[in-house]
Amino acid sequence: MQKAEKIKVLYIDDEPNNLVGFKATFRIDYNVLVANSADEGMEMLEKHPDIKVILCDQRMPNKTGVQFFEEITPRFPAPVRMLLTGYTDIESVINAINRGHIYRYITKPWQETDIRSAIEEGYKYFVTASMLSVKNEELQQADEELDKFAYSVTHDMRGPILSSLGAIELIRSSDDLGEVKEVMEMMEKSLQRMDAFIQNMHEYYNIKRGELQIAEIDFPSLINEMRELFSVGAKLDGTRFDITFHQDGAFRSDALTLKIILNNLLSNAFKYQKKDGDSKFVALEIKVAAGNALIYVRDNGIGIDDAHVNEVFNMFYRATSENVGSGFGLYNVKDALRKLNGKIHVNSKLHEGSEFVVEIPTK
Amino acid sequence: MSSEKMHFIVIDDSKLDCFIAEKVIQNTGKSESVKTFPVASAALTYIQSLPEDAKAVILVDIQMPVMNGFEFLEEFEKNIPCERRENFVINLLTSSINETDQIKARAFKFVNRFLNKPLTKNSLEMMLATL
Repeated sequence: MQKAEKIKVLYIDDEPNNLVGFKATFRIDYNVLVANSADEGMEMLEKHPDIKVILCDQRMPNKTGVQFFEEITPRFPAPVRMLLTGYTDIESVINAINRGHIYRYITKPWQETDIRSAIEEGYKYFVTASMLSVKNEELQQADEELDKFAYSVTHDMRGPILSSLGAIELIRSSDDLGEVKEVMEMMEKSLQRMDAFIQNMHEYYNIKRGELQIAEIDFPSLINEMRELFSVGAKLDGTRFDITFHQDGAFRSDALTLKIILNNLLSNAFKYQKKDGDSKFVALEIKVAAGNALIYVRDNGIGIDDAHVNEVFNMFYRATSENVGSGFGLYNVKDALRKLNGKIHVNSKLHEGSEFVVEIPTK
Repeated sequence: MSSEKMHFIVIDDSKLDCFIAEKVIQNTGKSESVKTFPVASAALTYIQSLPEDAKAVILVDIQMPVMNGFEFLEEFEKNIPCERRENFVINLLTSSINETDQIKARAFKFVNRFLNKPLTKNSLEMMLATL
């Protein structure tokens, strides 16, 4: 639990003396906000969405504490709610607690230690509840991804196996050596695709579960690595590979994650070139300044249809029938950027090319 | 119908699977022609361009990028008039073991059958025998 920041507490009471006394007693340990009516309490909540604990007097003119809590619960469900009350109101209090509006009640006149322990306990409850809801969301997302996974694995991994089995069956009854060779070549591509899929899956797992190793990034050596990785294939395909780089000041990040991002974007840029295009090119531009890295990957390849441009980052989405993608690459890029607090957007025109722009702040 | 030679249309984004289907179909000796399409929309355009009374057996893969097998079925239903639809025997090809796909396919009354990949001479002949 983070103890560095003081817990933000809102206290509502129509008695000004109580407010003053409360603030004087607790302001050292807590960040105390006070309001002397339900309406003012509401205003405070709107202004301070990070209030963690609310204490409210039950007996106030216009609105009781219970009514106030019932009113705010739908809009501000997160803060922990506590009621201050004398024994005479006990009926309505029990009612309110049973209906789930109130975490606990404190009898009046209050004791400092009671309030203190109530706030501490309430805050613990708040933290647990909000952690739980974050975990819940993560779990739900993981669950959805698992579904997609299970469905896609049967296709993306089983597909090449079945194709190869079909091909073997075909070859068995063929005497035509030329045909056999042709089929073998297609089998090879099919199995390479499956291998790429498995490698991407490994990357996916690394991004999801791996710890970041933050260190100063040596861009020149990273760029060299990319140049070595892609220049041979680029030459074979007749694609120009331009790299420009400019750095002002140090930049800290996770080298492996950065590599995954660059590798995927560049491999896409080379992969989705026009088959018989003239003056094909891929350009990588990296600009580091003021603790920000801007990375541009541009190509004059097949581009992305407007209708699909927002879907390319979805898991297993493939925007083209060119049978080379795993549907994993850009999803991994986006996931990796999320870990580095980075952003990506794409400008693309069908048949003209794409530009991916990545922005990453230093860590 | 079984002695008559038929026209075949194969729709699959995997070039290898198209190739396998083409060969398997030719090996049955019952094909007049085999056309393969790696992109479903191109197949649809082709089907629309055929003469009114054209008949064909269609094999379409379910999982394809851009336009998948189900989307193809929807477009087919939308764009091909009912009386012409009967001239086409549509079969779905799949590598998935997923039951929901089968349930989804049942919604399309004009789908003839589910065929598991890889397409074999045996499974194709069994399907053709029921026509």
